[in-house]
Amino acid sequence: MAGFEGFEKRLELNFSGDDPAAVAEGQDLGLRRLSFESLEKVLRAVQCTVVSAVANHYFDAYVLSESSLFVYPTKIIIKTCGTTQLLKSIRPLLSYAAEMGLILCGCRYTRGSFIFPNSQPYPHTSFRDEVNYLESKLPNTLIYRKATVMDSTDSDHHQWHVFTASDGTHFMSDEFYTVEVCMTELDPVLAGKFFRRLNCKYSGDIDGKEMTEITGIGDIIPNAIICDYGFDPCGYSMNGVDVDRYSTIHVTPEEGFSYASFEMVGPGFDGLGEVLKKVAKVFRPGTLSVATTSAGREVWTRVKSALEPTGLKCRSVAADEFPAVGSVVFQTFTTRRN
Amino acid sequence: MFRYPTRLANARSSQHDSPPKLGRRAGREISTIQQVSGQSSVKTVPRRTPPVLEFHSSAKWKSYFEASKANTKLIVIDFTASWCVPCRFMEPVINEFAAKYTDVEFTKIDVDELMDVAQEFGVQAMPTLVLIKKGRVIDKVTGVRKEELQKKIEKHRTSYIGA
Repeated sequence: MAGFEGFEKRLELNFSGDDPAAVAEGQDLGLRRLSFESLEKVLRAVQCTVVSAVANHYFDAYVLSESSLFVYPTKIIIKTCGTTQLLKSIRPLLSYAAEMGLILCGCRYTRGSFIFPNSQPYPHTSFRDEVNYLESKLPNTLIYRKATVMDSTDSDHHQWHVFTASDGTHFMSDEFYTVEVCMTELDPVLAGKFFRRLNCKYSGDIDGKEMTEITGIGDIIPNAIICDYGFDPCGYSMNGVDVDRYSTIHVTPEEGFSYASFEMVGPGFDGLGEVLKKVAKVFRPGTLSVATTSAGREVWTRVKSALEPTGLKCRSVAADEFPAVGSVVFQTFTTRRN
Repeated sequence: MFRYPTRLANARSSQHDSPPKLGRRAGREISTIQQVSGQSSVKTVPRRTPPVLEFHSSAKWKSYFEASKANTKLIVIDFTASWCVPCRFMEPVINEFAAKYTDVEFTKIDVDELMDVAQEFGVQAMPTLVLIKKGRVIDKVTGVRKEELQKKIEKHRTSYIGA
């Protein structure tokens, strides 16, 4: 018997345009000019829909029926859970981008280990299938490619799957890094807060707001504008918008396959350690993994000292270098009882 | 324990080739733009439905705003931008509410056209819906949030604002 798959697949595509200067100055919307009809077509290929959205001067953020979508002028990030066929978004996206004069210069695909791997449709049937599919869809100009499974030594053998490709022109900025946190075995009482109240009229965004408040999620990044949603009968998603940086949380609260993810672009106002402490407190998970991409040593070395006081013991650290994104560090934690 | 799949509130079979997927994630899809024809920001509405008032000059907005202080009508301002794709998801919602809540006035302001007004109301993200009565801001909704907006409209359309 399979339950809902909380573990997401995350795809990031980086583009360059005819006039990079205009984009840098904020004068060219780039990918944000993608019409909603085109966006809907892309999402249809992936089998998910928009349930909420918000935009500011830097990017557009969408809450989807199966996670999130972020559209920047030269970057698009789609993160989907369940049994969505995320990689099927690549062909339509590249086609629409080409129509707008945008060329793909970098690609990053990451995911953890599925709880129900046998329920995944092709090409998500295995990492090998995913990589082969990616290789076939990406243009030959992306000559630098690397696919690696980063291992851990924890009891559940959680792994972090990474594929990046680059044409050599695009490099992640020195300034920003991303953090992808995956949590399982959520504290049942805390997870219970992500169930819709009984006898409640169908009101997804209202319930989402309440869940954000009662769980303390709203305090994780206090300055962020939050777009949240509570699913029926349970489940929660939120996007946080903080100037040019996003954060996103998705929760599958059912016991037996409970899962929560937290992702953000740093650096933010608070240090990463402070943020992770708050995240651990919201969910009190039995297992937690942190993958940092493009983060300097001074960032990822703080993760362990931030989390261990919360009762999570570091079980493994793995690091590797990838085209365009630089270093990816994968750390796993479990509570002492595990 | 086997959980039966939850269907989405709106039938999706007309839009998707594949059957609804197994999973408990039922999110209500925002009213789809496919139903809206044309791409003008104000949909062509049937004669009897009150229109959404669009303001293109600060002066016109100011005089409307001043005049609104004289009555207790609830006014909803939809702050959008011409380039804002998320805002397009809110348009059918606004049109639906404008038709339904005829005692409420719905207005629309482009944040680039009326930058000063957008700044005055502290608009940082789009769409932002600001609810005002007698010249005072009484509520706000940030982002495409249909249910929250509906709840707030219903709450404030007849509420009394003290002296």
